[in-house]
Amino acid sequence: MSSRSNSAILPTRAWQYHTWFLFVLVYIIMCAFIPTLFSGVTLLNVAIQGTTVTLLAIGMAFVMLVGEIDLSNAAIAAFAPMMAALAIEKVDLPVPLALLLMVLIGVGIGAFNGLLITRVKVPSLVQTITTQWMLLGILLFITRGHAKTGLPKAWMWPGRAFVGPLPVLFFLFVAIVVFAVFFATRTVTGKRIYLVGGSREACRAMGIPVDKVITISFILSGLFATLAGYLLSTRMGFISPKFASEWLMPAIAAPVIAGVSLTGGRGNLVNVVAGAYLVQVIVIIVTAGGVGGYAYQFIQGLLVFVALLVDVARKRFMKE
Amino acid sequence: MTENPPILKVENVSKNFGGVQALSNVSFELERGKILGLVGDNGAGKSTLLKIIAGNLQPSSGKIYLDGEEVHFNSPADAMKKGIAITYDFMGLVDCAKVWENFFMGRELARRLGFFSVLDIKEMKRITAEAIARYGYKLDVDREVESLSGDERQIIAVTRAVEFQPKLLLLDEAFTMLSVDGRAEVIEFLKEVNKQSGISMIVVSHDLDLVKELSHYIMVLRAGEKVFFGKNEDISVDEIIEYMLP
Repeated sequence: MSSRSNSAILPTRAWQYHTWFLFVLVYIIMCAFIPTLFSGVTLLNVAIQGTTVTLLAIGMAFVMLVGEIDLSNAAIAAFAPMMAALAIEKVDLPVPLALLLMVLIGVGIGAFNGLLITRVKVPSLVQTITTQWMLLGILLFITRGHAKTGLPKAWMWPGRAFVGPLPVLFFLFVAIVVFAVFFATRTVTGKRIYLVGGSREACRAMGIPVDKVITISFILSGLFATLAGYLLSTRMGFISPKFASEWLMPAIAAPVIAGVSLTGGRGNLVNVVAGAYLVQVIVIIVTAGGVGGYAYQFIQGLLVFVALLVDVARKRFMKE
Repeated sequence: MTENPPILKVENVSKNFGGVQALSNVSFELERGKILGLVGDNGAGKSTLLKIIAGNLQPSSGKIYLDGEEVHFNSPADAMKKGIAITYDFMGLVDCAKVWENFFMGRELARRLGFFSVLDIKEMKRITAEAIARYGYKLDVDREVESLSGDERQIIAVTRAVEFQPKLLLLDEAFTMLSVDGRAEVIEFLKEVNKQSGISMIVVSHDLDLVKELSHYIMVLRAGEKVFFGKNEDISVDEIIEYMLP
C-alpha cells in the first residue's frame, strides 16, 4: 500500500514542508508591495530577527505536541537572562557561570511548571499564566520596568562578532534548531513526546512514563525560551521586561500556523521555523505599514485567531 | 498439571471499589501454554481481574504468582517487565502515529549517543514489517494507524503483543472492531501463535462462540465470584449462559 498525499499538486515528501511554501509565497507577494523586502540587507535582517520567534515557537511546539500550552514561555525569555545579568552586576559572577545560571533558571522554571501540571494536576493554562504573572511581577519589582543595559562584552559576543555578513548568534541559532529537530525526530524522548500527545491512555498502557515526558516538554520550553531571550539580548544590547509580553502571541501563532496540533501528537519542527519566519514577516510588514502600538496588539490577536481557524480547518480536511 | 509451576496462579484475589465488591476471593491456575477464556456478564469482574493481573489495578487482598514467583505490580510497566502483555478493547494504539511507531511504543530500539538514546528507525521498520508479514499480512509500516481498518489495527495490536514473547498474553475484548473475516483470521492467528510459541493467554470476550473456539479452559465469573472453571469440552455455550445468569 502506498502512503497517501494530502495534495494532488505536491508530492507527499514536499507537502510535509507546506509551511515553507506558504512562507515563500507570502514573502514574494509582499515583495510586490514593499520592494525593499527583496534586498539583501532586508533578507539578512529578517533572517536574524526571526531567530527569537523561532526559538520561542520551538519551545512552545514541544509543549503543544504533548497537548499542553506554556503561557510563561516569553516571560522566561525575559526572566532567566535578566537574573543572570543581575548576578553579573551585583555579585561579579563570571559570564560563563552567569550563562550556566541562566540556563538552570530557565530549565528550573520549566520543571516547576511541568511538575505542578503532572503531580498536582493544575491545568497548564492556569499554571503557566500564574508563572508568567509571578515572573513578570518579580521582573517589574526588581527593575521598576526599566531595561537592563550595560551587558558585558563576553555576554554580547554572539550578537557582536560576525562571520561574513551574519552575526555568530545566527549560527548558534541554526545549531540549536538542528538540535531541536534531531531531538524531536531521532531520540526516544522526542518520539515519546509525539506519542503522549497522540494518546496518553495508550502510552500509559504501554508503560511509557507519561508524566515524565510531559515534564520534559515543559523543561524544553523553558530551555528554548531562555536561549531565545539570551540571543535577543545579544542582538539588542539590553534585556527588557517587555520581552515577556511582546513575544508571547508570536510564539503561540507560529507553531499553530505551522500545523502543530493544539491537541497534541502532530507537528513538524522544520515547519515551525517557517511558521515563525512567516509571523516575523507579518510583524515587519505591519510595523513598516506604520501601525501603532494599540493596533499592533489587535493584529497579533488576529494572527493567533486565524492560526486557530487554520488548525480547525486542517483537522476537518484531514478527517474528510 | 505438569511438574512445572503454572504460568499464572491467582489466590483469593478480591477487589473493592469503595463499598462495591468487584471481585470476591477468586482463585485459579493457568497451565503453561494454555488459553483461558474468561466470560461473564457486564460488571461480573472480568476486566477488573485482567487489570489486576496486568498491573493497572492493585488487589484489595489475595496473591498472584507468575511462573511460581509471587508478584506485586504497581503499574503496567512492572507487569510488562515480568513478561505480561495486554491488548485492551481500545487496543492501546496512537492513531496519529505510524505503524512502526506504535509497534515499538515503550520499548524503542535505540543506541546511546552521549545524553541521548538515538532511535534505530531503520531496524524498527524492518522488524515491524517482518513481524506482520510472518503472520501473512502486508502493511506499509509508514502509514498512520488512523488510516487503517479495524482488522488491520487489531492485527498490529496483537502482533505487537506477541512479538515480544510475553509469558502471558491478556486479550481484553480484543475482537470488538473486527469484521467477520477479520475475526476468523485473528482466531487462526492466535491459535497459530499459541501452537508455535506456546504463549499462554487469557481471553476476555462477550463473544461466547469465539471463546469456545479459541480456549482450552473456560472460567465464568458472576457478580465478582468464580462460578465455573473447567475444560472447554466440559461445558457448552448454553451451560456457560446458565452460569452467567443470576
